[in-house]
Amino acid sequence: MEGNARPAVLIVDDEEMVVTSIRAFLKLETDFAVHGFTDPEEAARFMESSVIEVAVADYVMPKMNGIQFLGRAKQTQPEAARVLLTGYADKQSAIQAINELALFQYLEKPWDNAALLLVIQNGIERAQLVRTLRDKISELDVAHSSLKDVQTRLLRAFM
Amino acid sequence: MPEGSESACPMDDLGRLRAELATANQRLAEAYRMASLGRLVTGIVHEMNTPLAAILSNNAVMQRGLETLQRLLAEPAGVGEAERLRAAGILEQLHSLTAVDKTACERISSVIPGLKAFARVEEAELRKADLNCILKSTLTLVRSEFRARVIFEAELAAVPEMECYPQSLYQVFLNLLVNAAQAIEGQGKVAVRTVLEGDWVCASVADTGRGIRPEDRPKIFTPGFTTKPVGVGSGLGLSICRQIVVDRHGGRIEFESEAGAGATFRVWLPIRQTGETRSTSQEL
Repeated sequence: MEGNARPAVLIVDDEEMVVTSIRAFLKLETDFAVHGFTDPEEAARFMESSVIEVAVADYVMPKMNGIQFLGRAKQTQPEAARVLLTGYADKQSAIQAINELALFQYLEKPWDNAALLLVIQNGIERAQLVRTLRDKISELDVAHSSLKDVQTRLLRAFM
Repeated sequence: MPEGSESACPMDDLGRLRAELATANQRLAEAYRMASLGRLVTGIVHEMNTPLAAILSNNAVMQRGLETLQRLLAEPAGVGEAERLRAAGILEQLHSLTAVDKTACERISSVIPGLKAFARVEEAELRKADLNCILKSTLTLVRSEFRARVIFEAELAAVPEMECYPQSLYQVFLNLLVNAAQAIEGQGKVAVRTVLEGDWVCASVADTGRGIRPEDRPKIFTPGFTTKPVGVGSGLGLSICRQIVVDRHGGRIEFESEAGAGATFRVWLPIRQTGETRSTSQEL
């Protein structure tokens, strides 16, 4: 029952302590399904098979940095909101990420729990809106093509 | 004695110049020491910032959790099954957070010995110190700087405390570890080992980096020689290492390298400092 209804949030940080802290916070304060990872490659594989609403990624990680990871997220889950969490006040990479990845939000460590929650909630809302929009567009497409079909048949009937 | 006073002048000058040179060298070494610490600041900040961020977040979460527990206990209808379950869930999270806080505090504390060693003024007296501790603290500082791409491994044998100038040894291993990590393009590994051989301890730093070109090998200990880009290398690191190891401790520093296949630096240090160790060090 709950699996599909609860918004899914993915957190990836090579520091176990960050993952545990954010997961504990979200578990106590929300009913989100929280998926925590310390290995970005494992997290990327998870995204290939499970729908998520928000992906929060640390910037500096071995194997794959946060920008690369969120790039993967953009490919596999384009509707999910992408949030970069970083300990470095590295404005250059933030600008790069915002431009290249259409980053939803950039948060610095130490993060403020209230601010993080707000970002995640807004991200979920946005992801759900984008999904609804996508569904509506495909409904419109279907309606449009059936209208065309009707039009063709009408034309045929009258000619 | 007119001729004596005439010859004393250049000698005095020479003595004065020597003293000035020694002071200048000391200042240079001091400036270099602070510069190498400065270079690590980004990594150190990150090393402390992440655990600090976790502690700050956890503190707020624990406070909220405790408030909720308090509310549950104060339920006028008494503690029912639902409240008990909820409380158990909260307690489980709180336990996981205290474990995180412990790890986080340990992480912050681990940076302190290395920082203290670098911040302290160079000591003039020999002290007994554990080389493995020096290596571990230095590794903590360097690891944080390169953690995204370099794996640091340590295989430290039990070695007795040795007579040394500990702070200058921090400098030696900081230089060797930073060099090793900087020699690696992309991902790689740095392995640190200590071995006890008789009255000597050998500490080695091996990397999987680009190696040292044959034409550079004779020059690497020469002050001012560097293959690093402008602003990265001062060309003083290895010459300072040699001065500390050979001149101050009567030890030996050697390296082997193959271009493209990494480099290994070995530092040999005597456990006890005696006049004899110093004079026989070159024969070992």
